[in-house]
Amino acid sequence: MNFFTWVYVVLFFFGIFFLMIFMFLHYRNRYRLFASPAFTKHYSVSFLVPAYNEQDSLVETVEAIVNLNYPKDRREIIIINDGSRDNTKNIALGLVKKYSNVCLLNKLNSGKANSLNEALKIAKGELIAVVDADSYPRKDSLLKMIGHFDDSSVGAVTSRVLVKNKPNWLGKFQVMDYSIIAWTRKLLDFVDSVYVTNGPLSMYRKDLVIKLGGFDPKNLTEDIEITWHILSKGYRTRMSYDAIVYTTVPEDLKTWIKQRVRWNLGGLQTVQKYWKAMFREGAFGHFVIPYVTASFIFAIIGFLLFSRYIWIKGSYNLFSWYYSLQGYPFWRYFDYTFSFTLLLFLGICFFALAIWYYKTGFMSSETGNKSVIKIVGYSFFYRSLYVIPLIIALYKLARGDIRWYTK
Amino acid sequence: MVYKIMNSKFRIFLESAIISMLVLIIGFSLGLYVESNRNDKIIENYRNYEIQALDLKLQNYYYQIMDSSSCDMAIEQNFQFADDLYLTGLELERFEESNQITDELLREKKRYSLLKTELWLNTILLKKKCDASFDTLAYLYAGDPANSKIVAQQKIISNVLRDLKEQKGNNLILLPVAGDLNLGAVELQKRVHNITRLPVIIINERIVLEGFQSMEDIKKFLSLI
Repeated sequence: MNFFTWVYVVLFFFGIFFLMIFMFLHYRNRYRLFASPAFTKHYSVSFLVPAYNEQDSLVETVEAIVNLNYPKDRREIIIINDGSRDNTKNIALGLVKKYSNVCLLNKLNSGKANSLNEALKIAKGELIAVVDADSYPRKDSLLKMIGHFDDSSVGAVTSRVLVKNKPNWLGKFQVMDYSIIAWTRKLLDFVDSVYVTNGPLSMYRKDLVIKLGGFDPKNLTEDIEITWHILSKGYRTRMSYDAIVYTTVPEDLKTWIKQRVRWNLGGLQTVQKYWKAMFREGAFGHFVIPYVTASFIFAIIGFLLFSRYIWIKGSYNLFSWYYSLQGYPFWRYFDYTFSFTLLLFLGICFFALAIWYYKTGFMSSETGNKSVIKIVGYSFFYRSLYVIPLIIALYKLARGDIRWYTK
Repeated sequence: MVYKIMNSKFRIFLESAIISMLVLIIGFSLGLYVESNRNDKIIENYRNYEIQALDLKLQNYYYQIMDSSSCDMAIEQNFQFADDLYLTGLELERFEESNQITDELLREKKRYSLLKTELWLNTILLKKKCDASFDTLAYLYAGDPANSKIVAQQKIISNVLRDLKEQKGNNLILLPVAGDLNLGAVELQKRVHNITRLPVIIINERIVLEGFQSMEDIKKFLSLI
């Protein structure tokens, strides 16, 4: 067997392995997907809303928090104006005047993690809930999350993010994407492996976050980093599939790439920071780190294999066109005879399993059942785009060019 | 350890690993089974061709020593053998592309290349002895092409030659031989015809055409001789 065949075999094996894990997790726990622990105690909660140039969405976000089903005297809302250059500050002041439990923390621009750390110093709640200033929690979301904190081993709880805006093809694909991301994250909850507590709405034990030194300002995805930090200390992270928050997603490819470059850079930074815990500490060391690391490595290998394939086929077709111009009938290039091969078998198994996986994921989410054509479009077209921000992120990481990319 | 895992929620990882291994084992087993069948078919055909080749060689000796009055029979058998060998050669190439686990076919490919070279030499002798008018077209190609340009060229040349053979029928013996297998007999032919690059077409042991050739060009050279 040649080298490339081995590489494909390894990729297909791990692809099937990871898909099998998710399918098993789903079928073993499908009746518990939407279950949340009963809400027994009124914890005091500080909502931290970091805002940088969020004049268009801040009011709606704060009002969504104000309207949450939770006792008003058990919560406070801290808007952190991170040196916005638009009208965010004035809008925030208006909200402070309007609602008695809203306060404003003004600071010079220094990034989201620093903003959260500043707010931590003044937060009074036992728990903190981080809400992005362009995200809108559903009324009952807090009640669906808070019961998890009755278990003292739980350090953080996250929610299900749904897309608020979907004006074009990119938005529609992101609706599918967010559904799959949320569903797989919930499945990972069943093996104590929720490795991201998302920015739109996540809750943390305040004392624990302070004990850990707060959010890491050097990391571009402070939400991933804090989750890994919590997991590495032996705490659990949970996800409430029924706790929903709506968020605004990028509407054009350029902004989408920029956002995903940041996610990838932050992810890579986090892996770099915690890789030494690999195969050491419970589910975190034995599954989360290897799984995320493997996802990055396999994506890069997949990209290289795809590039190689395109190079070979592309140059072949280029020469074929050249000869076609000399009178050789073009259709003769397409004569293909079917033969059984090992990779064909593994490929069919992998793609059949992947389609089943996506179909199950969509059926378990708000998007509902999707046709195989839509799934193929999503997995072959949209998911292939994932590699663009990954390559840019790797390039930037190699050059040490790490900045705040979202704004 | 395994017992502990099997009794926890983490047994899913073990179960998934076992199923993935099973899929892999089934894939390898099926692949090996199919590839072995293909290899067996090629080996079995080769054994039959070996007998046929020996028979033709002996007939050739006979005509050289004894009698040339019944050349037609030898020529006809030569054509039949060349055609069979050509079709099996195409099959062998196809199987070689599909085989991913075993590399047994490389050895068979060498054997077939030698058999074709033997047939080529036999044909040269037969033509001389019987003063026959048919054309021989040896096509030396790269079994392991260095780049996509050569892959594209060879794909076209192979199709062009197949069409040409269909048109010419028993007026043309077509002998595609892999020219990069380091076989002494083939290397000798390359040296005789001063060939340094593949693919090449050798028409009636006199004209050597390098690279892509259209059907019209090849026909033009065939009619020249």
